[in-house]
Amino acid sequence: MTPTLRTSPDNAAPHQSAVLSRTRTSTRLVPIARVALSEYSILILAVLYFLSMWPFIPELGSRANLTNLFISMLPLLAVAIGQTVVLITGGIDLSVTAIIATASIVAARIVSDGNGLLAHHPAAITAAVFAALLVGGVIGLLNGGAITLLGMPPFIVTLSMMMCVSGGTLWYTHSTNIANLPDGFIAIAYGAPLGIPLPLVIVVLLAVLVHILLRFTLPGFWLYAVGQNARTSRISGVPVRGVIVLAYVISGVCAAVASILLTARLETGSPTQGDKMLLDIIGASVIGGASLIGGKGKVIWTVFGVTLFSLIANTLELLDLQHFTIMMIKGGVILIAAGLDVLRRRLNFGN
Amino acid sequence: MRPTLILTLLLPLFTVIGCDKKDSGLLPSDPKKPVVGVAFDTLQTEYWVASRDAIKDELTAKNADMLLAVANNDANEQLKQINNFIAKKVDGIIVAPKDAQTVIPMIKAANRANIPIVLYNRPPAENSGKSVTVVADNLVITKATVSFMVEQAKKTGRKHKAMILVGDLGDVNAIGRRDGFDQVVGQVPDVIEVVARIPTEWNQEKAMSGVTNSLQAHPDIDLIFTSSDFLLPSIVSALKGAGKYKKVGEEGHVLLGGFDGDATAYQMLADGYLDADGVQDVYFECKEAVRAVFELRAGKDVPALIRDPGFVIHQGNRAELKAKMWGANIQKK
Repeated sequence: MTPTLRTSPDNAAPHQSAVLSRTRTSTRLVPIARVALSEYSILILAVLYFLSMWPFIPELGSRANLTNLFISMLPLLAVAIGQTVVLITGGIDLSVTAIIATASIVAARIVSDGNGLLAHHPAAITAAVFAALLVGGVIGLLNGGAITLLGMPPFIVTLSMMMCVSGGTLWYTHSTNIANLPDGFIAIAYGAPLGIPLPLVIVVLLAVLVHILLRFTLPGFWLYAVGQNARTSRISGVPVRGVIVLAYVISGVCAAVASILLTARLETGSPTQGDKMLLDIIGASVIGGASLIGGKGKVIWTVFGVTLFSLIANTLELLDLQHFTIMMIKGGVILIAAGLDVLRRRLNFGN
Repeated sequence: MRPTLILTLLLPLFTVIGCDKKDSGLLPSDPKKPVVGVAFDTLQTEYWVASRDAIKDELTAKNADMLLAVANNDANEQLKQINNFIAKKVDGIIVAPKDAQTVIPMIKAANRANIPIVLYNRPPAENSGKSVTVVADNLVITKATVSFMVEQAKKTGRKHKAMILVGDLGDVNAIGRRDGFDQVVGQVPDVIEVVARIPTEWNQEKAMSGVTNSLQAHPDIDLIFTSSDFLLPSIVSALKGAGKYKKVGEEGHVLLGGFDGDATAYQMLADGYLDADGVQDVYFECKEAVRAVFELRAGKDVPALIRDPGFVIHQGNRAELKAKMWGANIQKK
């Protein structure tokens, strides 16, 4: 399974290159800076941030708040995992919020007890879930197809896709919500078999699957190779087009998973579901360490990024800060994370 | 196993090991003071800002603190904020929800935590748990406003051609206002003939193009009612374009009526261009919302729906009712 390419230093998997770079830079950097620039930095930062805010916000560590924090960050995590895969290939998927809205409407339209296509049917919930995932996959396929076959920039393809798809969803629903979702569907967000919240099970499963794909499979290795240098990859025999399409399909499916969680959580299919999430999604992935230039990113890093990002938002809200202030601070944090990424890159290149 | 992986797997365990410390930190400043969480969908229009200020004043009068959250039109964000309030163990919640459906899980969450929840300005969909809603009686206020306009129209002795700007029909408030208009004009077919209905979906641009097109198709329109004052600027510029923006009493004046009571409406009343405006009594609504929170907290029975009867302000009673009109007070500031 392990391809011979992996032994070449130029095409080393990012994990390996990070390890190599760390070893090289270690002699020059003081230990604190080494930790700050390592792949653990975001997790350490999250823990330090949590500990330093706790005395000021006693509720921060309460069970109710931590449950709220971790449960409500799961949809963001699901969609950010997909975004990470796209970022690894050097692309970007701006259509994810439109996918969330469309999948939400499709699922609700099928399952709603009010005027659902399969209202009260025993297979309604399964059908709704699969239809939502299919919608995500198909939109991802269209994105990937346009990018690879027409050679268009991912930015403009996914941006136009977002506009077309959101417009279509608003037109179809006349801007109205679809409510009356059955209890079985709502249980996707609120159920807890054996005391473990179901959304946690779903997202952990998704994370593990994508982690295995990226870390242990050939297509996973190809994703990094394409992101680092698409031309070299093509010459080396990597099916670049197929790999890019795969990335966007994964991103679409992950967005659909997020959509199902959000729709069940809000007990409503909404044509504007998730439309304010885009910057949080890209921001959290970048904070985690996925590079906007491609070739770098890990599921685990994105977990850290989403955790830190959600933790910051949570504390700012608990501190009763104004919405505008929260937006400014979140923007600042993303900027710092992107800066840190550049710094890390420079130091590595310096060697 | 790598340490990163171990730590990651440990992350969700935070949810289990979290301990419920008693409030001992810096917030809230006075532990005995009741705290009410107030969640707005948006603060982007004057109406919501005026509401926020009025709720804050009411809470201060009751020696309570306000925790404010604004969801920026994002229902999931609003649900998170309500859960934050619950985590902070607030004494009550007032929420101006994004819509009637997505507020349901918020009501359920507050019910589970046994925290009173009051909905401001928008009632929930059915089967939604225990809550109290304070909302303007859109139907009654609109009927009173349009009735006043009909009286003015009767005085001219001729039949009027009417236009109504309808709001987003997914919003019960918009439906109430449309129905109020229809019920009144339906009774006086010899005075009013409705020739244009503009579906605005609460959008300025749609209102503007709709009004402009209708005025071209029906140049004899001489009565316009808008379901919300925030669309008045669109009407004004379309009327100006058609050369029909005249003061009350001037030759060619188009009878104008609105709903809300915002600052633009007040200015147009003061300048003599607007005939009548149905006003949502923000001060009454906020007072009732705060009162409902405290009564629910004290275990008293509160009706599930508290209606704001509002009032109609027009050229005749402007001086008298000005102080009650929230838009007039924003103007002063």
